[in-house]
Amino acid sequence: MTNRNGPYTQHTLENGLHIVIEQMPDVRSAAAGFLVRAGARDETPELAGVSHFLEHMIFKGTAKRPWRQITIDFDAMGSLYNAFTSEDRTMFYGWVREADIARQIELLADMMRPTLPKEEFETEKKVILEEIAMAKDSLEHLTFDFLQEKVFAGHPLEWPILGYESTVGAMTRDQMHEYFATKYAPDNMYLIVTGKVDPGEVIGLAEKYCGQWIPARRPAVRTPAVVQTGVDVLQVSRFRQQVVALTFPSVGGSDTLAETSAAAATILGGENSRFFWEIVQKGIAPRAGAHHLEYTDCGVMILYGSCEPENAEALVDALRNEANRVCTQRVAAHEVDRVKNKRRTSLAVEGEAPYYRLTQLVDDLEYHGSPRTVDQMLAAVEAVSVDSVYEYFQRFPINTEGHLTSVGPRQWPANGNG
Amino acid sequence: MPDKFVHEILPCGIEFGILPLPHRHVVSLHIRFLAGCCNEPEEQLGLARIVEDALDKGTESFTGPQLSDAFDAIGASRSGGAGRETTTFSCTVLPEHLQRAIELHAEFLRRPVFPGEAIRVSLELAGQELSALEDDAQGLLDKHLSRQAYGPLLGRHPLGERSTIARIDRESVAAHWRTHFNCGRMLVTIAGPVEPRRTKDLLTQYFEGFGASDREGRTAFPVEFSPRSVHWQKELEQQHIGICWPGVALTAPDFSTQQIMIGILSGGMSGRLFTEVREKRGLVYWVSAWQETPRGAGMIFMGASTTPERCDETYQTLLREVDRLGDDLTQDELERARTGILASFETRGLTTRSRCAELLGDLFYFGRPVPLEEKEAKIQAVTIDHVKRYLREHSRERLCVVTLGPRPLAGMLEDAKSAAMIGVNKT
Repeated sequence: MTNRNGPYTQHTLENGLHIVIEQMPDVRSAAAGFLVRAGARDETPELAGVSHFLEHMIFKGTAKRPWRQITIDFDAMGSLYNAFTSEDRTMFYGWVREADIARQIELLADMMRPTLPKEEFETEKKVILEEIAMAKDSLEHLTFDFLQEKVFAGHPLEWPILGYESTVGAMTRDQMHEYFATKYAPDNMYLIVTGKVDPGEVIGLAEKYCGQWIPARRPAVRTPAVVQTGVDVLQVSRFRQQVVALTFPSVGGSDTLAETSAAAATILGGENSRFFWEIVQKGIAPRAGAHHLEYTDCGVMILYGSCEPENAEALVDALRNEANRVCTQRVAAHEVDRVKNKRRTSLAVEGEAPYYRLTQLVDDLEYHGSPRTVDQMLAAVEAVSVDSVYEYFQRFPINTEGHLTSVGPRQWPANGNG
Repeated sequence: MPDKFVHEILPCGIEFGILPLPHRHVVSLHIRFLAGCCNEPEEQLGLARIVEDALDKGTESFTGPQLSDAFDAIGASRSGGAGRETTTFSCTVLPEHLQRAIELHAEFLRRPVFPGEAIRVSLELAGQELSALEDDAQGLLDKHLSRQAYGPLLGRHPLGERSTIARIDRESVAAHWRTHFNCGRMLVTIAGPVEPRRTKDLLTQYFEGFGASDREGRTAFPVEFSPRSVHWQKELEQQHIGICWPGVALTAPDFSTQQIMIGILSGGMSGRLFTEVREKRGLVYWVSAWQETPRGAGMIFMGASTTPERCDETYQTLLREVDRLGDDLTQDELERARTGILASFETRGLTTRSRCAELLGDLFYFGRPVPLEEKEAKIQAVTIDHVKRYLREHSRERLCVVTLGPRPLAGMLEDAKSAAMIGVNKT
């Protein structure tokens, strides 16, 4: 069954692989990606990090290609390619000249059926352990992992995407294969193609290369997280700056208030935002922002900043002061308009590059189940208003205790859990 | 169809380039002043960045927030920054807002008032940014490596030093702006669905009379390359390694060969460094080779980070890969590197913003727009013999090596054959 709507064509193979195509006739390139609906939150605690490790192993060989041939074939097309793993998805993509899109789809499809060679598994494990070590040298990365561990304590969102040295170190190739077999089933995946392409040709390629994959018929079972409150401190003396973050429950990406929550974060902590003028431009901290972190079924609003350790109290006070203001007084109309105006420009910019559209479609499919046309996206942006922002903060107030995370050389607040 | 560039120097002194792209839905505007960190007084390092930061914090007609609101009212996507040689502002808007975007840039570039409080805050934040840099291992390594690669002038870091920031005040900010921000030092490029004559008139309307019209800032700054090995002691999980040696300038005949050589080393996952250092040996997560091209010079870099017990093997593998490149380079490798560069012209290189930035680079380095076809032809012309000759003529005999982390490399001195010294510093 093939559906067409504007530039979009959707088709589902008999084995459940869903194909989404966006035609962009004005470009000279195309991008293709496999979206796997599995990430760190789908792991068991003892296999923390397997999704990300598996993402690496996907590049390490198939029945048809040894690992070296995979990278050679990508580079022989001049593909801009990579992969990433998040808490709830894993994505593999390549962006190529229009003439190479069939080769790109064939290569990516072949990779989705890896052999996970044992020798490569052990070599790649060393690479992952280096990546974990590198993350520990980043104050930002360290803070985010600590925040997730505390804010989502007791839920699969608590462990880092990279996993831990202990879990990655102990992981076996067979454990990974078992995880792969359930998660990389066609009925748990999307093939997304954007750019100057012929939808009929793409569907034919998908039939040819993916049609024989066997479905698992085991949809992931996920439960929304409960956001913890409290104060947690990680003292790390080797860093110079202190990072603080206030975290509050919010909506997931599928919620009708999702666009509003993103706008609220921009008003608070984006460019030309309240935090920029009231915190950064007051000299309290060089960085202060608000980030709406969303998953399909839940989300959090994070207010954060990094500063000299002695400024930590002032920074948290300033974050809380602005948080209180948006909860008790409606934001100004021009603040909402600003977000809309910038979104219009970014939509036009996205429309120039198949890879940008590919990443946007991933969110659409995860959160809305289907692609949104530019008109639909603009309508969602237009629906954001002073009232909807006010309503959002009434439903998800950020002038409550929330969760305070503090990471840096200072053991502050003193009453925090160390 | 070949692009129809417009390239002129206006009577007011602005050098501008326009690339009409009729069917696009956005327009990009890039403005570059030929003044950056190299133009700072030695005792006030960090000044160029402070000026860039303070310019839009208040004008004769707008407060800082009002100016930001005015840009947001047209949905402008903006960025700006002070580099070694230049200070650049860029902006992307829907086509109907181009005039307003030019007008607002003229407002803050021509009529800044540098409010005292904004300068105070900018200086305060600069000090805090220096602390943040200490927490950024890669950024810190880059800072130390640049200093050795380019010397005290071109190797300046945009943040300056605490002692030099302390000497900056409102008057020095205003003086730097008065001296270096004028039409004669200004390159402007615009790409998108624009009409060249109308666009040219807009630039004249808003910028005519902005300071001196004499063409200044066109001279390259000298590179003072100092081959030596230095370790910076720092408590980290990983050891960060940076290596560099002189290459060729972007305008040199061999530049395309250098591009291909970098592509062979590090152009994709089949590149030599990724294959040998990461995929075969599992030594690192991050490894890369890249080049930098200040005017009149070029520098080749390699970098990797790894846990301390593996850093010696990583370092040796990096050097070995460069050394054997001239011996066993294959035609397939060369073709992959070539294809990677050519394909990027049609993927990420085709966005309006990329085309505008590319045109700005053309004016900056070549003094003229360089058609894509010309760039493609140069890449197409590179052969294995070119690469081998390049490697002979630009060997890694004279190296700068900088490491940052828990311990110095074993044998660092022996491998940097012409190293004048090895130093150990504490950061």
